[in-house]
Amino acid sequence: MKNTTQAVVLWGNRAPAHSITAMMITEDQKTIVTGSLEGQICLWHLSMEMKITSKAILFGHTAAVTCLAKARDFEKQPYVVSGAENGEMCVWNVNTGHCIQNVKLPYRHTAICYYHCSFRMTGEGWLLCCGHYQDVLIVDAKTLQVLHSFKSQSSDWISCMCIVHSTRIQEDSLVAISAAGDLKVWDLSSSVNSIQEKQIVYETESQNLEMANYCSVRFCTYTERLLLVICSTSWKVYDYCDFSLLCTDVCKDSQRFAGGEFLAANRLIIWTQDGHSYIYQLLNSGLSKSLCPGEGGLLKETITPHLLCSTSVMEKSFSCTMAFMNQRKEPFYKILYSGNSSGRLHFWHVPDVPVSQFDGSPVEIPVKVTITLQEMFDRHKSMSEGIIDHLCTPSEGVKLATVTASLYIPSLDKLVCGCEDGNIVITFALHAARARLLRDHPLLRGSLPHKIFGGHDCSVTSLLYPHARSEKFDPSWLISGDQNSSIIWRDVFTGEIFHKFILQAGAILKLLVPPTDYKVKLFQSIYCVCSDNSVALLNLQERLCFFHARKHLFPVKTLRWHPVEEALVVGCEDDSVYVWEIETGTLERHETGDMAKAILMACEDFTIETTDSIVNTSHETQRNTRTTFKSSNSYKLGNLSHNLIHSEKSSNKIVDSSYSLNPFTFLPVRSKYNISLHLLLFDLEQVLELLQSSQASGLKSANSFHSYDALKTAKSSSEKRPLTLKRNKTAGSLYQMDGPTSDIVVKEIITRPLEEIGGIKRHKKFKSTKKNKTQMSGKIDVNMVMDAAKLLLSCLLPWGIDKELDNFCVKHLDILKLQGSVTFGLISDVDHLCLMLPGWNQVSNDTVGNFSHNLLSKKVIELSTKYSLVAQKQKNKNDQLENHISAMLGLETLLHFLKKLLCVSKTLRMDGSKCTQSGSSFEKIESLRGKWKSSEHFTSSFPPFTTDVLHGKLSK
Amino acid sequence: MATAAAASSAERGVLEEEFKWLLKEEVHSVLKQLQDILKEASRRFTIPTGTADGATKQENFVLGSSSTDQVKGVLTLQGDTLCQAEVNLKVSRTSQVLHFAFREDKQWKMQQIQDARNHVNQAIYLLTNRGENYNFQTGSEVLKLMDAVMLQLTRARNRLTTPATMTLPEVATSGLTKMFSPAPPSDVLLNFYVNVNKLCLLVYQLHALQPNSTKNFRPSGSSVLHNPGAMFELNNQRFEVSHVHKVECIVPWLNDALVFFTVSLQLCQQLKDKISIFSSYWNFRPY
Repeated sequence: MKNTTQAVVLWGNRAPAHSITAMMITEDQKTIVTGSLEGQICLWHLSMEMKITSKAILFGHTAAVTCLAKARDFEKQPYVVSGAENGEMCVWNVNTGHCIQNVKLPYRHTAICYYHCSFRMTGEGWLLCCGHYQDVLIVDAKTLQVLHSFKSQSSDWISCMCIVHSTRIQEDSLVAISAAGDLKVWDLSSSVNSIQEKQIVYETESQNLEMANYCSVRFCTYTERLLLVICSTSWKVYDYCDFSLLCTDVCKDSQRFAGGEFLAANRLIIWTQDGHSYIYQLLNSGLSKSLCPGEGGLLKETITPHLLCSTSVMEKSFSCTMAFMNQRKEPFYKILYSGNSSGRLHFWHVPDVPVSQFDGSPVEIPVKVTITLQEMFDRHKSMSEGIIDHLCTPSEGVKLATVTASLYIPSLDKLVCGCEDGNIVITFALHAARARLLRDHPLLRGSLPHKIFGGHDCSVTSLLYPHARSEKFDPSWLISGDQNSSIIWRDVFTGEIFHKFILQAGAILKLLVPPTDYKVKLFQSIYCVCSDNSVALLNLQERLCFFHARKHLFPVKTLRWHPVEEALVVGCEDDSVYVWEIETGTLERHETGDMAKAILMACEDFTIETTDSIVNTSHETQRNTRTTFKSSNSYKLGNLSHNLIHSEKSSNKIVDSSYSLNPFTFLPVRSKYNISLHLLLFDLEQVLELLQSSQASGLKSANSFHSYDALKTAKSSSEKRPLTLKRNKTAGSLYQMDGPTSDIVVKEIITRPLEEIGGIKRHKKFKSTKKNKTQMSGKIDVNMVMDAAKLLLSCLLPWGIDKELDNFCVKHLDILKLQGSVTFGLISDVDHLCLMLPGWNQVSNDTVGNFSHNLLSKKVIELSTKYSLVAQKQKNKNDQLENHISAMLGLETLLHFLKKLLCVSKTLRMDGSKCTQSGSSFEKIESLRGKWKSSEHFTSSFPPFTTDVLHGKLSK
Repeated sequence: MATAAAASSAERGVLEEEFKWLLKEEVHSVLKQLQDILKEASRRFTIPTGTADGATKQENFVLGSSSTDQVKGVLTLQGDTLCQAEVNLKVSRTSQVLHFAFREDKQWKMQQIQDARNHVNQAIYLLTNRGENYNFQTGSEVLKLMDAVMLQLTRARNRLTTPATMTLPEVATSGLTKMFSPAPPSDVLLNFYVNVNKLCLLVYQLHALQPNSTKNFRPSGSSVLHNPGAMFELNNQRFEVSHVHKVECIVPWLNDALVFFTVSLQLCQQLKDKISIFSSYWNFRPY
């Protein structure tokens, strides 16, 4: 899929909820990866001084992340695999945030181990997986397809496993413990061949350990002898050679063990579910062969665990995931880390030789560093501000409340924000974005057109602009629901309240529009899903609640309707189905199990859209431009927006067309997991198309100036001269033909004060009926597209490297400086997305000085020096040009910039396998170049592009 | 707005007290209740978990059907394993009675039962981790715990209510035929599965299709039950299902377990509802 959409993220001041369920540190100790209950994966940067900054958040899973593991030889490719509760698996590049591969299998994994045996295996290696299914699955690390499985004589779920690699035994084996407590051993290296030939491989050893609920098994790589087995109430050390019990210890009351690891020979660390850990020394190395578990008395005397150190956390937490990173090489630390369900990370630096105090009592190791996402957000205020915080000047003194619901109306370019205090703020989306991103600008501050409508007395929970979904609704209607079960139907322009419905059914969770082929009687009606699991049908025309289905015991998952019987089919979360007769409002049937499935299947085509995904919308906009209709029913990103936001997918084609006129989309994202962010999506290809077409139709004069300019520079290239001259002539003649009139038009468009545009646009919209709107849209678009393009370029340009260049951009191109760093989004495919988090820019500060806040990498500095040279020349040229010409040139340069961006993004997509493009394309190229052996192919392709950009500039 | 705020300040205090009570007392009593129900459910699976009292008891079931008397059988179920099975198949063509039984040394694991049992044990494990002395700080903690428990319970229930769909070659290679002695004839396929509270046995009688047969060969897809006429290919030999016999027996404790699952799911949802009611009164951030 070609994807030229650029995404910029506007975070709110609240960090997304991130209840950590899985955690790992990459082998280079630079990246921390955390998976969450909400389904997102967070990437953090760990500096050499053990400072942690958040880098990016990866969207893609629609259910809780259950496990994380490396997916390749990390030095070659920084890939990490993640498994989710619903069987999704993703391989991510943790340096760039790309989703490399994803798949959905019917298996829920609890642990994944990467295994590669270079001399026996072809391909990228195996992912050995265990979880809520029988035995161990072997998944290909590259394709994520199930290759085979390790079978067992008495199959059961495997609760934990580890790979035993020992030079002494000369055989890699997999040690696993089943749910029933059987320890099983499979040969790994010697069974590679038989696995590849799809033969059944059974375990070589099996032994019952007499306990249940095992959570971890570890092999001591120092002695290559000891096996540590941890279950929730005790831990045991076995001799790996004969499986004799050497040592055991039970946990204190009210604590449960969660895992452990060997620190060194005879020294181990055990941690508990509530985030405590204990370091033990196994005294008197109990390895002497004479001892066996039968002679219990003797055993106890010789091998006793002695507590050396302990760590603890202050706050009591629901549950923790902890792990230990043991690196023997010098620059690396021994790190004990944990993440808990409130999203807090804790790090401990474990000393190389932990010792107890002189009197033998254990030492408490202090927490080295601790952080949450919210702290990162608070620290980087400029990247995490509310979207409408800028609407009021400080002098007004009115602080707007937190946004609890927001909605973007593409056809009006309006952003509607529902606030915590019940107010609804309506503003222009692009302006809000500009005000939020760009540095103080006299034209922008304080004078943004916005309206505040009251009406609700508690926080607004849902918003609906019904016209976007079906044209039978008036384009001026806006419907909002609040926490107190009231629904207000009002005019979006004037704020006049037509009617207020009061339902007494808890908070209004969703407002939905029924499908267009609904019967006439229910002409203008909307559905609302309430927090008491009820569904109400409101008739707007007659201003009454038509019927209210209140019987549901579980939250409503799907809404469908039966076309023949006029029935509403409600699917609940417990997989039961309720069929309501719309006419009478009676419950016709209640079914569970197979029958419920069959009913839902029967009404498959008559779904009332309840789900939505971010990228789906971008996909949608793309689809419109290409007019190819793909039947992608992937609402996978759902978790983020799962069931809660209404579908952006318009059921109506006429509305779609107004969509396609919008190369810029403003996407509010909100979900039950309290993520509130806004995505700015720029469709580069479309921006370019629109600008060019406007240039071709109304702005011929711009062409003429361009060629006029080209004539001057053409001197150097004598061969091209005649050609350019010729073009100049034709352009010149055109200029004479329609020059004077169009010149005025263009000038007006370009120089029109910014805040006026909004006013005029609104004015126009007011008057416009449906018919002339489409005619006018062309002209309106030029302004909008220009502004959008400029905003995008503002985000991408390397500010602060060259003062003159900055000035040039601000003065002549009208591209304004940024207020702070921008967080970009990176779209891997339809439902995999990487969003940078506040604080990402500090990551590079290790290497690059702190003199610019929009530095992507060193490469940018190199580029910018070249670039500034070009700009210098251009500037000289500009001096000679008159004022209005420079305005023309502005548009030209803008176009040129965009063209190059598009070009780079496309090439990147082609070359870098699944590499997509974001604002930080240069960074990506660099990182790729470092990693790939075939980098020559990259480096060769890269300079032409940059030089192309530069030459392109030169030619002006 | 102002009046609403003033009126609610006193109300808020009361509500806050109530919410504290909910977290401190009510949640634990519900959790205790849940644990009891689920332990009862888990006991139905009669699995010796850890300290429980040793061997699982064996139960005999007679397979039958109202529509056909061509297949008869007796099964012995021990927890999640079929340890004995005797099947009598009357071939209508020859009116010859085929008899086959499990080999003495072999046992057949009913994966559905095993999975359901493991899911329940997971749910119990989640609950026991938050014992009496655990203090819930926020409502979201409870909601998360309930979500996790409900996920396990839903899976346990679905595992029993929705048998796996299999293709005929998968049935043929499942290894079930190897369990019997004497081995059933090559034109007979067998499949055991659980459907809600019933343990079912499917017997397919096949006839081989001639390689040059004019019949339009179309392999059938995945299904729980394949109807006569379904075709498949195995080891370059094409087969068609000529007869299907389904016999079943009701396992009472599976029914009990399913009832327990449903009751505990409702309890969980009720607790969730109780917690989320308070979100309407002030912004307590459920997540």
